[in-house]
Amino acid sequence: MVDMFGIPQKNSRGRVLVIDDEADVRKSVTMALTKSGYEVIEAEDGQQAIGMMNSGDNPLAVDVIICDIRMPNVNGIEAVSYFRAQYPSRPVLVLTGFPDIQLATSLMKQGVVDYLVKPIEREKLAAAVESAMKHRSKAA
Amino acid sequence: MVSGDPISVMILGAGTGGTSLLELFARSPGVQVVGIADKDHDAPGLKRARELNVPASQDVADLISRSRDGTSLIIDVTGDPAMAGFIAKHNSLGIQVLDGVTARLLWNLVQHEARIQAQLFQAEKLATIGTFTSGIAHDINNPLYLVMSLAEDMLDESEPAVIQDHARDIVQAVRRIAAIVKGLTLYARFSWADDLVEVDLNGALDEALKLARYATVLDEIDVARDYVARPVVRGRPEEILQVCVNIVTNAVQAMNGRGALRLSTRREDGMATATIADTGPGIPQDVLDKIFDPFFTTKEPGKGTGLGLHIAQTIVKKYGGLIAVSSREGRGTTFRLQFPSAG
Repeated sequence: MVDMFGIPQKNSRGRVLVIDDEADVRKSVTMALTKSGYEVIEAEDGQQAIGMMNSGDNPLAVDVIICDIRMPNVNGIEAVSYFRAQYPSRPVLVLTGFPDIQLATSLMKQGVVDYLVKPIEREKLAAAVESAMKHRSKAA
Repeated sequence: MVSGDPISVMILGAGTGGTSLLELFARSPGVQVVGIADKDHDAPGLKRARELNVPASQDVADLISRSRDGTSLIIDVTGDPAMAGFIAKHNSLGIQVLDGVTARLLWNLVQHEARIQAQLFQAEKLATIGTFTSGIAHDINNPLYLVMSLAEDMLDESEPAVIQDHARDIVQAVRRIAAIVKGLTLYARFSWADDLVEVDLNGALDEALKLARYATVLDEIDVARDYVARPVVRGRPEEILQVCVNIVTNAVQAMNGRGALRLSTRREDGMATATIADTGPGIPQDVLDKIFDPFFTTKEPGKGTGLGLHIAQTIVKKYGGLIAVSSREGRGTTFRLQFPSAG
């Protein structure tokens, strides 16, 4: 594991980028995943997240991306398709308040690893991230 | 009377019965109310008649003598046994009179029709809420998620200060959920016989927008408000809100959750006006002629009932108002709601 400057983090199980316009949700995800030993980086919308991923010549070392759907500026649907095209090795989880089967199906077809609906229990979120980490090793 | 001419009706008695008749006749194309009379100056039907621009009088004899040439039927719902003789004395042209048990029968039918219509309006509201469910779930699930995370964290937290902080955050999150539920409850409330009160169009538009935002997955609408102070109308708040919800939801859905929405209100010439303009794809001319028809819809199954605009029009007309639409393909659609001002 490396931090954003490429320095290895001994105690971290991996780095997760959570993208959600709701502070409530970012706080929840950060609390849950920090407890499970992950490092969490937060972005408020798709635009900010893309900016963070592309910043400098050393793209942010992120292991898993957790993305909301309904967000201002660049929304989740656009952000997901961007990440799938530009960073195909980074597994993307969708975490949304929309229990929408059509939307879930179309996102899974784009290569989204899991479609999670809020509220999600801490253990379930941690398990989903853990399983996504395996996808990363396969793809990378 | 030539068949097909509108029936010109005079209503005597402006209590509950007379008012119901007036309401029904005012929206019946084949019936014209030439006047309504009641001894009681504060009778609800007289007030309603003034709002509908129907001649209202406290003097039965005077109303008959003024309007008899253009009247084809007198309906007596005063319940006053002396009224029959009084009408006979002033009814020199021999206009047909409906009174006694036949007038009561008519009143019963009218009441029944009003109940059925109220139930249809209610059914449409509930069906609309059905199309909002994903959006409502989304807005409730966000704070609910925080509540769950904080509670989970409290389970293995022993620091009292942290536990107190979490509890405070939970209270705030629950308040946000309660506010969402309250908004829905206000909209879903069933009412059909409440008194009319002053309703502020600015508030109705804002409340409608909150609900309409539930109708789409994306919420990237740029809202511009251009409100005047107190554009108030007399009506039932639930009905005015239903009109606004139906129009604003159409606008939000037409834009697929993305575009510019302009909400404005005006007070001029005794009218209070609300204008809702979207930047959606617009409505083709051949469709524009049918949008107020019952059960006409261009939405996919599950997204609309085909009753929204029909009911909006029925409610607006009931309050003596007008609903107008203009649309340009590729540019957007503008709805204008105009009511007699109560301010």
